[in-house]
Amino acid sequence: MSRYLLRRFIQMFVVVLISAVASYALLNLAPGGPLTGLHQVQQNNRFRLTAEDVARIRAYFELDLYLPVRFARWLLGQPRGPVRLGGREWLGDLVVGCRRPIETTVPTADGKFETRQTGCAQVVRLQDLDGRRASRGVLSGDFGLSWRLLRDRPVSDLILGRLPKTLQLTVTATFLSLVIAIPLGIYSAVHQYSRFDYLFTTLAFLGASMPTFFFGILFILVFSILLKNAGLPYLPPGSSEAVREYTLPWLGTIQPGTLLDIALHTVLPVAVLTIVNVAGFSRFVRGSMLEVLRQDYIRTARAKGLQERIVIFRHALRNALIPFITIFVFAIPALFGGAIITESIFSWPGMGRLFLLALNESDYPVAMALLLITAILTVFATLLADLLYLVVDPRIRYA
Amino acid sequence: MTPTTDIASLAADAITTPEESPGRILLRRFSRHRLAMLSLCILAVIFVISLFARQLAPFTPHELAVGNYFLPAGAVDDETGRTHYLGTDNIGRDYFSRLVYAGRISLSVALLATSLTVVIGVLVGVYAGFYGGWVDSLLMRAVEFLATLPALPLLLIVSAMLLRNEETIPIPKALLDAVGKLMLLSPRDARQAVLIILVLAGLGWLNDARLMRGMILSLREHTFVEAARSLGASDWQIILRHMVPNSMAPIIVNASLNLSGFIVAEAALSFLGFGIQDPIPTWGNMLAATQQFMFDRPILPLVPGLPIVFCSLAFNYIGDGLRDALDPRLKM
Repeated sequence: MSRYLLRRFIQMFVVVLISAVASYALLNLAPGGPLTGLHQVQQNNRFRLTAEDVARIRAYFELDLYLPVRFARWLLGQPRGPVRLGGREWLGDLVVGCRRPIETTVPTADGKFETRQTGCAQVVRLQDLDGRRASRGVLSGDFGLSWRLLRDRPVSDLILGRLPKTLQLTVTATFLSLVIAIPLGIYSAVHQYSRFDYLFTTLAFLGASMPTFFFGILFILVFSILLKNAGLPYLPPGSSEAVREYTLPWLGTIQPGTLLDIALHTVLPVAVLTIVNVAGFSRFVRGSMLEVLRQDYIRTARAKGLQERIVIFRHALRNALIPFITIFVFAIPALFGGAIITESIFSWPGMGRLFLLALNESDYPVAMALLLITAILTVFATLLADLLYLVVDPRIRYA
Repeated sequence: MTPTTDIASLAADAITTPEESPGRILLRRFSRHRLAMLSLCILAVIFVISLFARQLAPFTPHELAVGNYFLPAGAVDDETGRTHYLGTDNIGRDYFSRLVYAGRISLSVALLATSLTVVIGVLVGVYAGFYGGWVDSLLMRAVEFLATLPALPLLLIVSAMLLRNEETIPIPKALLDAVGKLMLLSPRDARQAVLIILVLAGLGWLNDARLMRGMILSLREHTFVEAARSLGASDWQIILRHMVPNSMAPIIVNASLNLSGFIVAEAALSFLGFGIQDPIPTWGNMLAATQQFMFDRPILPLVPGLPIVFCSLAFNYIGDGLRDALDPRLKM
């Protein structure tokens, strides 16, 4: 078992590493990025950036370093200067970047002009990195500093500030969807082809194939706008709590930040997430329950004269829920993805919206951190699913 | 293509033609799935409307009626006498025309992306399943790896990166012209559509490849393949004549589910602002635009929202119907 775990951990580490490299390359190889618009500013007379200013800005974003060096500094927090070994400094002269690239504008084949880097007027050497600020590296849990959203504040601050909001949303939604989906799925499977089953399968199909964003907008439409227009108590359509006090019919004036206020704001996004989840979960429970109910041991249990309730809950359900573990465990990181759309519709200040903001503002350290955290969560979810199998199904053994 | 459902004609069929062609069997079985048939009809209507977008839409999607913001549905343009069937949007563009053109774009994007995933997926899947080797292990590793990355954030990042550098990505002019013609866009605007198709297909083909690989692996063990080989058939003959036709069922089902997924994915990307951008109409970005006006005009979001839902549902139901129709174990 411990050998199995060790092997799994190594595999997980490799997968996370590859996804880190892939997403880093994706964000950093593409031109544009944080310097978009700098050329326009340069031509603007009011600011008049000198070449030295540009070099400083490039150094701020570490764009003066070669990509592998930048990546190593992001991942490991190294190199920070010359290699110090045995009281001496090594490799201090190693060129690790270019402080002032020489750019020439060359005509391209289709008659346009293109600016290309043709040389380097001043290189960055390893010894120049001494004293430059650097993160401790992602591997030590330091995701660096935010570039734009909260300039120079640690990315982890940004994420930790948003985490409770996302958890508030997703944990509630997951809990509710489990509580609703499992009984629904069981009932529908036990009463297969009944009127309820037809209604349920149709609704679940609708829910599973309906886009989240449309659900969200529909809910705002019905529960915020139409209710408000009808003079009934309505639900606030956005944000996680009010800024100033507001009055609802019947409920009276509500102070911002009170439990009622927070609850009212949570209802709509949680409802959307829950419905989408219930549709998927319950269809799965129904399918796997039907599969199990056809097994011989269920017939045996019935033939023994056991009560139907015991047959279903003790014999069928326990086996039916085994494959459900995978679905459920993978819903944990997937909730983050599903929450992107929901959070964006309801302007919910959670991690999903943070990701969108980071992409929009080219705040790559934040985007990278979020992507990496999700990848790590997924990898751990896979492991968790496999280990849970071990607990619930004694037939499974890992060597 | 009227389905023969009444018993008399079925019986007659059974007597006169004891061996139905596979196509007819499929059609008969598919037509039993009432929701799938209904979906087919709805989609046919949407397709025809999109096909004749230019003829049906009274305005072009970019035409600005200055000052005529938020005209009510049915308002008539004074100068030309044309009707705004669904009114105008916040900057005076005809809503109905935009909706129709958007349909053409959204559907074309989904169709092209699906075709691309099928072609790449089948080619790679066949190669990996038949020859194995490094293509096979690379494919399987890639599939496993992509499963660890969350789909939507990945889609957003790739799409954001590509669209940000729209101009620098080389795309053959002929392709842009062709896609532009298909979607009634200028070649310049077609660039965005092409990039979105590439993003969707680029992340979508792995699943088709895995399906195809699985089918090929299981077919390889069948006796008819052995028979073909012993008759001296070449690899290509075996693949093209025997394996590909026999493995089309799951690929077709998956394709129709992909269509639904791509319609939603494109709409979601455009909705979040990482897909096709505003002057070009798509259902997704029209829906996003309505969000800030829906408090005064509550019906507005339904106009671009419902087509997305209908198309997504319809393709899903058709996939469901096809799955049932193509599954020989299922008695219908």
